[in-house]
Amino acid sequence: MLTNLSDETFEQFLLLASVQNTINLGNITFIDPFGMVGVLETGRYYKSMNAARNMVLPNSSHVLKYLERMDFFKHCRRFFSIQPETQAISGRYLRKKFSDVLLEITPIEKSDDIHFIVSKVKKRAHNILSSHLHYDENRINGFIVSLSEVCQNIIEHSENTGFVGIQKYHFQKYKMNVVKIAVMDLGIGFSGSLSDRVSLIGDLEAIEMALLQGVSRHSDEGRGHGLAAVRKFVQNWNGKISIRSGTAKVSIIPSWSWGKSREQDLIHFPGAQINIMLPEV
Amino acid sequence: MITYNLYSILNNEIGNGSTDLVTRQSGRVIREKIETDLTSEKDGTVVALDFSSVGIVDYSCADEIVAKLVSRLLGGEYGDKYIMLKGINENQKENIEVALERKDLAVMAEMRDGNKALMGDLNNYLRETLQHIMKKGRVTAKDLSEAIGLESNTSGTRLLNLHKKRLVIRTDETRSGGKVWAYEPL
Repeated sequence: MLTNLSDETFEQFLLLASVQNTINLGNITFIDPFGMVGVLETGRYYKSMNAARNMVLPNSSHVLKYLERMDFFKHCRRFFSIQPETQAISGRYLRKKFSDVLLEITPIEKSDDIHFIVSKVKKRAHNILSSHLHYDENRINGFIVSLSEVCQNIIEHSENTGFVGIQKYHFQKYKMNVVKIAVMDLGIGFSGSLSDRVSLIGDLEAIEMALLQGVSRHSDEGRGHGLAAVRKFVQNWNGKISIRSGTAKVSIIPSWSWGKSREQDLIHFPGAQINIMLPEV
Repeated sequence: MITYNLYSILNNEIGNGSTDLVTRQSGRVIREKIETDLTSEKDGTVVALDFSSVGIVDYSCADEIVAKLVSRLLGGEYGDKYIMLKGINENQKENIEVALERKDLAVMAEMRDGNKALMGDLNNYLRETLQHIMKKGRVTAKDLSEAIGLESNTSGTRLLNLHKKRLVIRTDETRSGGKVWAYEPL
């Protein structure tokens, strides 16, 4: 049974969700923004297929508190039947005055949502990005612009909607703070988006073309720069970016992190699943 | 010079309380409003897009507003007008320059500290010529030839190219009984 839910265990989670009507998160002791938006998008996906799943909530009160702080329960009832039924969860846990949450799980459905996201992150940037990651103004600007661009991909390319969440963590092992950004949608994915311009390409090639070469579904000059600029920002600041779409995943991995740079033949999941980790400087 | 306050346009056209120029969709709406206003200005008008009350500018919005406006201005879509940027901070400059450089464009800007700067792509000899015009204030091909030792044809071509890029204003003046073109900074 899964005990943590992040991009590293997402494949196991998808496998469970594909064969079980009830997704049991009872033993979960750690969940990050990618895990949370992954659960929500999986629930949304199965509901859209008329195969809505049930969810057993984590037993850990710490995890429940964190889920509440991240506004997870605000969204999950739309996609899951929750067991045990816990109507009292919302509002049960008071928010910490000095939370590590940079952005609660937030839907991305229209351009206005990105204005809202940018405004909110700007307000909290000093508390988290300056204090804990030691970012200066220029780097905070790069962070927010990258966030805006990565979220816009959903509106510009996915033909669907999605979620984003951001949280700061302290990695005990490396004695450093990191910020994790997770962005997901259930759209047409990278190969679907590029199919009008490039014929018959697989998921892996499509992700690489968009991420590494700045290829866009739109042929006009000036397009396709957003994701390539996000990659440059992440690489410049020694961060990690992983993009999963369809059955493939491409990661750019700094020396302090781990993982495979290319993965194929994963369980098919629609849309794009993006995970970004940025360390303190 | 006529100033378009981008914060006011953002507020009026998008109206969601944001101070940031983000998303391609917002950029499109703002550009269309600017285009409508721009076409009703008189020929020869310099329009300054004022960023001083704006926060973040992302690449997509910079491309949609600045790069597309400059590109269409050079294509003659707005008539004989000029566009410059005003009230730009260093972070905004960085993102707008990326959008301009991808399309091989350049635009004049007045930074938030009042200094004038060229943003985007321009080859070295045109940069040198532009700097000379900015220093002197008003320059003819003859002036430029004398100042930096160029053939008068070459000077004329350089000045004309800067004007075609809408980086300098061209007016005519009478010297020694004949009409000559004179070039001035925006």
